[in-house]
Amino acid sequence: MTATVALTTTRPRWQTGVRVAGLAGLGVIALTVALSDMIARAPADRVNVRQVSLPPSAAFPFGTDIAGRDVLSETLHGLAVTSEQAVIAALTTLIVGALGGFLAARLRFRLGYGVRWTAGIFGAVTPLFLAILFIAVTNRGLAPLAAGVAAAPLAFARTFDRASGLASSRHAEFARATGIGALTLLRRDLVYEMRRSLLAIVGRGLASGTIILSTVSFFGFGALPPHRDLGLMIAGAFTTARASGNFSMWWTALFPALALALVILMARLAAGLEDGTRP
Amino acid sequence: MSEPLVTLSDVSIRRAGRNSPILDNFSLTLAAGETVVLLGETRSGADALARALSGVPSASEAIAGSIRIGNRSSLAGDIAPYKAARIAYWPAPEHALAPNASALAQLVRVVARKLSFSQAEARAEFAASLERLRSRVTIQDLARPAALVSPDVLSWGLLACAVAQSPELLIADHPAGNVAPSVAGALVAACLEAQKRQHFALVCVTPRVDVTRRIDARTIILRSGRMIEEGSIAQLAGEHAHTYTRALFHTQLSPDAAPGRPVGRGEPVLQVFNLLTKGKKADRRDALTFALRRGASLALVGDEGSGRRALMRVLLGFERPAEGRIVFDSVDVGILSSTMLSRLRRRMAVIAGEDGALDPRLTVHDTVEEPLRARLHLTRELLNNYRDAALKRVGLAELDGSRLVAQLGPFDKRRLQVARAIVGAPLLVILDEPWRGLDALARNAMRQLLVDFRKAEGPAFLVVTNDFAVASALAEEALMFDDGKIVERGLLADLVKNPKEAATQRLVTAAKGGLS
Amino acid sequence: MARFGLEAALRLILGLIGAVFLATAIASLPPYSAGGFWQSFGSHLVSVAHLDFGTSRVSGSPAAAELLAHLPATLLLLGFGAVIALVIGIPAGLLAGFSRAAPVAGPLLLVLEAFPLFVIGIAMIWAATVLYWPLDTAPAGTAIPGDVLSLPFARAIALPAILVGLGGAGAIVTRLRQIADTLAYAPYREGLRRLGLPNWEIGLHYLLPEIAAGVLANLGEVMLALMGAVIVAEWIFQWPGAAAFVIKSVALSDWSVAAIILAVFAGLTLVADFIGALVSRALVMADHP
Repeated sequence: MTATVALTTTRPRWQTGVRVAGLAGLGVIALTVALSDMIARAPADRVNVRQVSLPPSAAFPFGTDIAGRDVLSETLHGLAVTSEQAVIAALTTLIVGALGGFLAARLRFRLGYGVRWTAGIFGAVTPLFLAILFIAVTNRGLAPLAAGVAAAPLAFARTFDRASGLASSRHAEFARATGIGALTLLRRDLVYEMRRSLLAIVGRGLASGTIILSTVSFFGFGALPPHRDLGLMIAGAFTTARASGNFSMWWTALFPALALALVILMARLAAGLEDGTRP
Repeated sequence: MSEPLVTLSDVSIRRAGRNSPILDNFSLTLAAGETVVLLGETRSGADALARALSGVPSASEAIAGSIRIGNRSSLAGDIAPYKAARIAYWPAPEHALAPNASALAQLVRVVARKLSFSQAEARAEFAASLERLRSRVTIQDLARPAALVSPDVLSWGLLACAVAQSPELLIADHPAGNVAPSVAGALVAACLEAQKRQHFALVCVTPRVDVTRRIDARTIILRSGRMIEEGSIAQLAGEHAHTYTRALFHTQLSPDAAPGRPVGRGEPVLQVFNLLTKGKKADRRDALTFALRRGASLALVGDEGSGRRALMRVLLGFERPAEGRIVFDSVDVGILSSTMLSRLRRRMAVIAGEDGALDPRLTVHDTVEEPLRARLHLTRELLNNYRDAALKRVGLAELDGSRLVAQLGPFDKRRLQVARAIVGAPLLVILDEPWRGLDALARNAMRQLLVDFRKAEGPAFLVVTNDFAVASALAEEALMFDDGKIVERGLLADLVKNPKEAATQRLVTAAKGGLS
Repeated sequence: MARFGLEAALRLILGLIGAVFLATAIASLPPYSAGGFWQSFGSHLVSVAHLDFGTSRVSGSPAAAELLAHLPATLLLLGFGAVIALVIGIPAGLLAGFSRAAPVAGPLLLVLEAFPLFVIGIAMIWAATVLYWPLDTAPAGTAIPGDVLSLPFARAIALPAILVGLGGAGAIVTRLRQIADTLAYAPYREGLRRLGLPNWEIGLHYLLPEIAAGVLANLGEVMLALMGAVIVAEWIFQWPGAAAFVIKSVALSDWSVAAIILAVFAGLTLVADFIGALVSRALVMADHP
């Protein structure tokens, strides 16, 4: 039993502005990632024992870490690795989760409900756990896929429930009564739902993928040097600080953390602030 | 003449962002016990005035002018006088109450708030008020989530709530909503009886001509924010009224206008043999048998719960029949596989008087193109031609094809359904309350559209309705339903002239309501 | 309501059965004692039916014993974190969704939510160090410090519980924003005002139950967010709970232990979902007077 509410068809302007800001931010990040090798002053994981643990300065705007690596360059490389992995994770969530949910809702003989039940079981485990489990069973190289698959059950459940609701809606009933076939109705859902909420799904997928990937890296299940992502960088800074009992080298964690937050923020802004339930 | 209870002086209502006012310099006086009807279609300004009188205008509406109720004045929308006077509000049943909460609980709470009673006292007062209205609705009918209460029952509840407040002024804002004429008539009669008892002033805002006729009081015609004219029903329905007024009153269909002879010929397009719809006790005497010939038009007429919609649901394939056979286009649908049945159903179209009939996510063009794309492999050019021709036929050629269905008004959505049906070239069109929720002139236009469609394309029509006037406008023959069975059948003209069964008599009287 | 309850209970039972199957599959991962995966799966299933949940490859103790040793600490952290999540999440969500400040509060909260929990945890440790807040974490593998009501316990649990609370609050805020988006255009609000009810009465009797029901209907997702936050909090603050322990078990391929802990966590989420569905339904169906 749900309320039948009159939905407005236009977003308030400020919400549209938020989305545009998010998209612009993602664009800037994408450009930065594409040019990271050119912008960075040093290749990834370039150690220099002569410039160890230097604070931010004109020469090293983000300082250097305990191995003498330029934190700015490392942050740029880490951003590139994190972003690329997050895109793979988001696409995996989109295909396995969102699209899978739509297709499963149209399966005959209620087979879809069996698939929904299975997805529900996996969805009862926090995505972080699932990702770590998948990585442990496979290998670290599949971490982006693991993150995408880990977030897929929740996306699957959402789109399955929405597609089931649409399939039993009045307009779908009338369409079937006049000979509109299942494939055409599926096309409607895929085209119009995807068109309506693709940005929201991809944005949320990017955000959740980034969080999961960086967190599994922080736990040590993610990328390995020289392909350090932002999570691994922060883990390294944290481990160093904890081991020495000295948290004075704050720059080694702060700048990678800000870069990470920026990706997540822009992805969430692009996804919009509402649930995307309006046409 | 007694002291005016309500005095509106040069009231104008503007909405933010619009150049022209919704209502422009409107004035009105009303004494205690008097009645006035404001008859106006969408965007006439009547809605906004009803909201202003209720003391709760829409957030985007700014009110200028003076509204005086009792001896308290208000300028520019000040709500103080509304608190001083006993004003009751009787709205349309749609969206009046929170859908998931008990309708009874909400109505009792309103009575308790307005009369400063405890909940128990308010419930007793509400129950007494409901009983005095002499409807068949009980407290138990309302003790469910409002979304699950039928509009008819909810309308009675809202009237009882308003009358229970012993108001000085009752504002009826689209009071009948889209309920059947028989129910609307009963509601209006009950309200007028309560008015006689309690001597309240009544302001009724409605787009329905049948409701206006039944109230039969001073009537003001509004259009585009301006008063067109004012007078009694006799004056406004006469030959000397304003052109717009005459057009409005002539849109009220008379069941007497039914054409006499059926025009169907040839093979039946639909045959039903001994059909028992699900949920009925299997009394085979109640089994339904009828046929509909190509090009003919048959109406299934009856009140809510009479069984006509159950039959419609079976014909549309929403439910399986308990027993019986359905033969469509000479094919027994019961023996077909679902794929074949789906193919057969392509020769059927549906035009329904509900908002959810079309997918709100689709665009105007997509809605019309979809049946063609799904069934035929046409070039883009041919597709566009068929689509544009259909949209032109229904008067939507100028509409931006990329607009979403969700952004259209009720009349445009209804016409879009007709366009979608046209491209499908159906053998049978099922019309379910085809002009529910439409304004008077829109109903007229819709009727003409459907008549022209049938004349040009020749599909058979199956009209499902609770209004004899609708049936008369679109069909030649009718099956009268009551309690799940057909109680009377024949030519509409005959049924209207000589209704034999009580159910038929009731609906014919309701359809004629107020017409001499 | 009874029918709804039965359906929800059936979903819960099916979910729990599924969780057991999933856990059994995890416990059956290589290295295999004999045969392949399916043989391992079959024998583990039979063992589970006899309430034998296997043995830890690392410590040699029964997996159930390892669970019982570590779970209470996690449940305590979860409980305190949930309380903090409500205290922070509900006002923040109402501000971001229903107040006039929503256009400002919404994006601001998004900025705060953009930092992953492990980053916030590190920032909390850094702040604790700078402010000389004692970071009393128990050495790994021992019981939680002191009595539950004691000062050492309060100092030990404060920061991890706040981190868990922030994680849960994020899910509550998201849900409240979604509900606000739906209710903002609900026509019955104006309808009830015109009938004569004041705003506060409409809010109290009709909006708040819808809002509360909406949050409770998503209790499972809130629980998932809390669980995710518990993992991070236990890891960063070295809290001796089951969540961090399961990460270590997975790293060491100690599948029996990982399986049983995962099954319990999944069960907690499913139970939260069930309770949330029932309570939200009851709230929505509540009949006043």
